[in-house]
Amino acid sequence: MSEEMEKLYQERLKRYVTAMRNEKPDRIPIRPFAAEFAAKYAGYTNQEVTHDMDLAFAAIRKCAADFNWDATVGNMVYVWTGLVDGFGTKYYTIPGIDTPADSAFQYVEPPDEEGAFMKENEYDELIRDPTGFLANVWIPRVSRYVPPIGEPTTYENNLAWLRSGMAMLTYYQGFGEQNARLRAESGTVSAIAGCLKAPFDILADKLRGYKLLCVDIHRQPEKVLAACEALRPHMMFNALAGADPEKNVPISIWLHRGCVPFLSPDAFEKFHWPTLKQMIEEIWSQGWQILFYAEGNWNGNLKYIAELPERSIIFQVDRTDIFAAHKEFGHKFCLSGGIPNDLLAFGTPDEVRSCCKKVIDGVAKDGGYIMDAGAIFQDDAKVENVKAMTDFTVEYGVY
Amino acid sequence: MTEQKPKRIQPGVCIPWEEKRKEFAEIMGDEKIVQRIWEQVDLLPYLYIWAVLIQF
Repeated sequence: MSEEMEKLYQERLKRYVTAMRNEKPDRIPIRPFAAEFAAKYAGYTNQEVTHDMDLAFAAIRKCAADFNWDATVGNMVYVWTGLVDGFGTKYYTIPGIDTPADSAFQYVEPPDEEGAFMKENEYDELIRDPTGFLANVWIPRVSRYVPPIGEPTTYENNLAWLRSGMAMLTYYQGFGEQNARLRAESGTVSAIAGCLKAPFDILADKLRGYKLLCVDIHRQPEKVLAACEALRPHMMFNALAGADPEKNVPISIWLHRGCVPFLSPDAFEKFHWPTLKQMIEEIWSQGWQILFYAEGNWNGNLKYIAELPERSIIFQVDRTDIFAAHKEFGHKFCLSGGIPNDLLAFGTPDEVRSCCKKVIDGVAKDGGYIMDAGAIFQDDAKVENVKAMTDFTVEYGVY
Repeated sequence: MTEQKPKRIQPGVCIPWEEKRKEFAEIMGDEKIVQRIWEQVDLLPYLYIWAVLIQF
């Protein structure tokens, strides 16, 4: 690693961390989360980056080298085929296998009670021993290769566990090497470390399915609450297991259905928020910030988020009104994002620059802002627009 | 007789040491090191299972 590159890395790290602590750095940091966009930029198909993690990592390194990004994620096309196909995972469609090579991976949610990965009468079993339930009941339902407990073990079954376990090790080792290369080769900070999900979202996404959980909150609300509480310590444990030991970069929590129209504010307050709030407060008390990646429009939930401890989160703005968010809690939390993905896909560079200026003028003058698209961006984002967002911020975002 | 609730298995654990210990009639050497290493390796499948749920 050259001294010059390490110096650049330290400058970027300081800039990024200062902004996240809601203070004023030398310039607004730029921290995009580029998924299939990186593939397009580097000249790969979506199938190639989804299947071959080395190509996915190379694509991000090319973006990091060519764009003046302070921080980014080593690979946002995170559903690596080697792992999910190796395990026979039923709930993903994979580009190049199930869908065209130029599509993105898709999550297929349980559509009804018959297809549900957790049945309506299994809440007590989950609550009693979440890990045991996942291993013995859930995994056999979501894997093509793992039979239910009690049925004969097969060669395929044994290989599936071994294959996917070792694939996961390989993948995480790859991320470690990727982060080191981003630092050494382009002075780029790895933006996040550690993954958190809201217990309610886990119930919706992976266990009951969103539609069935919407029924459950009316028919068995106490079970839903108890299940969230049973999952909470495990969510925290796993988030902290992957967290930055230096406590510089945040743990990310991916939130995509806690807001209207998916969940009413009343349902959010009763079912989604209590365990989510508790986790954030406990993790913050141990010294880690959380990137509160609020996909969608969270305008209706801002008052709850304002309850969180000062500096505990970085609030990612997707469709939320960034100016309303800034008014509500800009004095407490750093904001990031706010440049709409559809603008990056369908707008012009001038329109992108105009939007960036409006956002910077509106929320960034006292620091505590990080430039990014509203959400993870795919291959529909135009290269010239991403460049415009980056270059404008480098020039206009100096304090 | 008072019904006792089964002790909840803590995060980071698949098979608690108390269960694993029952496999051995006698541990002839240092039991603490046997326990420590068991708990270290038992953590690995725990992390795997929850990573599949949370991240994949």
